[in-house]
Amino acid sequence: MTTQLTKPGTTDSNAVTTTASKGILTIADAAAALRDGTITSMAITTDIVEKAISLNEALGTYVTITQDLALEQAAQADAAFAAGEDRGPLQGIPLAIKDIIAMKGAGTTANSRVLDPEWGAGTDAPVVARLRAAGSVFVGKSTTSEFAFGMPDPTKGFPVPHNPWDVERTPAGSSSGTGIAVAAGLALGGLGTDTGGSVRGPACVNGHTGLKVTFGRVPKSGVVPLGFSLDSVGPMARSAYDCALLLEVMAGYDASDPNAADVPVPKYSEFLDGDVDGIRIGLPMPYFFDHEALDPDVRDAVLAGVGKLVGMGATAEEMALPYAAEAKEANHLILVAEAYAYHRNNLVNRWSDYGDLTRPNLARGAFYTAGDVAQANRFRSMWAGEVAKAFQKYDVLITPSAPNPAQLVKDMDPSHRLVQPMYTGHWNLTGLPAVAIPSGFTAGGLPLSMQIIGKPFAEATVLKVADAYQRATSWHLMVPPVEALYDTAR
Amino acid sequence: MHSSDEKLEVALEMSGVNPAEEDLEKILDGFTRGLELAAQLYTVPGVRYEEPALIFSARVAGAR
Repeated sequence: MTTQLTKPGTTDSNAVTTTASKGILTIADAAAALRDGTITSMAITTDIVEKAISLNEALGTYVTITQDLALEQAAQADAAFAAGEDRGPLQGIPLAIKDIIAMKGAGTTANSRVLDPEWGAGTDAPVVARLRAAGSVFVGKSTTSEFAFGMPDPTKGFPVPHNPWDVERTPAGSSSGTGIAVAAGLALGGLGTDTGGSVRGPACVNGHTGLKVTFGRVPKSGVVPLGFSLDSVGPMARSAYDCALLLEVMAGYDASDPNAADVPVPKYSEFLDGDVDGIRIGLPMPYFFDHEALDPDVRDAVLAGVGKLVGMGATAEEMALPYAAEAKEANHLILVAEAYAYHRNNLVNRWSDYGDLTRPNLARGAFYTAGDVAQANRFRSMWAGEVAKAFQKYDVLITPSAPNPAQLVKDMDPSHRLVQPMYTGHWNLTGLPAVAIPSGFTAGGLPLSMQIIGKPFAEATVLKVADAYQRATSWHLMVPPVEALYDTAR
Repeated sequence: MHSSDEKLEVALEMSGVNPAEEDLEKILDGFTRGLELAAQLYTVPGVRYEEPALIFSARVAGAR
């Protein structure tokens, strides 16, 4: 199901035979091709940037496409290769940067009329500086939910993101743009942020891999905050292996972030050897697998995925985590309270400048008492203890990433977030690493996803299990049928 | 006993947030549900003697 994208009327062979039709879907593919001389960064980047521009109205992927910067970086990467300089697998690789992360060469909007246009101007967040130093190419600043929180408000003038598998459906958020870019081949990877599921949600419904890292694993300075004690910056790409390549560059201590962890960064990709023999998987059944709102297709695909891992030598056992529903509420309460603290003055002075679905949700933070926030943090300590006990017995936990495939936008109701189950915020609450990977498709062609959660700073184990599954399946290599949109756009 | 509308009016006045009239219904829905859900956290027995983990460390001397 690989899309053959063509550009008629062009005689340059590198432009006509695009990255996808050359079999280049992943960062690893591109890195190999760049080094064996079968393609240049300029060819990959030109193709991706032109597609991104053509499809931006239909998909709403980017707030800003940094075409000149991207081509300059691609040329630099090719010149470096020609001179025998090799900074590593990200050299020459086009990436999307979520538009709440500061990046030199482009402003940051947070998809909002409220953010000071000078915020972060002329600077790279530490994580972006690391990618730049590794020789990456920046395609642009990708669409986000307003301040990584609200749903799109078309009246505010920002691109409205659409799911490339079905443009009537949500691409999820808040890292919507990077999710779309990776799925539709408008970047080979990119950055998202995750406070309650905002990397994993888009990865889930767009059909690729997204990693929420351990709290503090990647510095979050230079990133507009949502929930200070929950936020993380994470890699998004087609495969777990690609996420490992990104994380090797992104991770590590930086003094500018008071929450950055001073923990050594392993070479994550070296752990991905396909071997899951003896890996102990826990399946928390109550809430995560038995909720009445959980789509049976989602559940069945996750359990089939677990079965495949067991067939490869892992063991799996049903277990229970107490108070999972309350953990979802505690994550949401802390998130909203911390977000309200950040936005309070602007909510008072610039209420109508916020999107119509962002502002009432932010306002909820005003109604929780100080005691409510303290109680949520006391619950957090108790929940973290229960989860830590589970990890004495298991190496990873596996759950669905979300209860449903991508919803139709017209059916979405923000108040449902308060009552429907969610499976992602629990791991922000505990600061644990968790990756969402594709686990199948519905009969209607929508991606399904499963989530693998690990111990603190055990991204290597989480990615190892994900990679082993992806060696035995090809869901993560499926490309949405954007060709019709491309033809329409021309 | 005050209605939810009355409680919301007081809460908004105390917060200083002055939303547009058309937003009040959405805020009321979130207000009511949010407080119900927050109240649940006081009923969890395992939290009775728990201390929250602080995220500030006086030992951090990061440059800004």
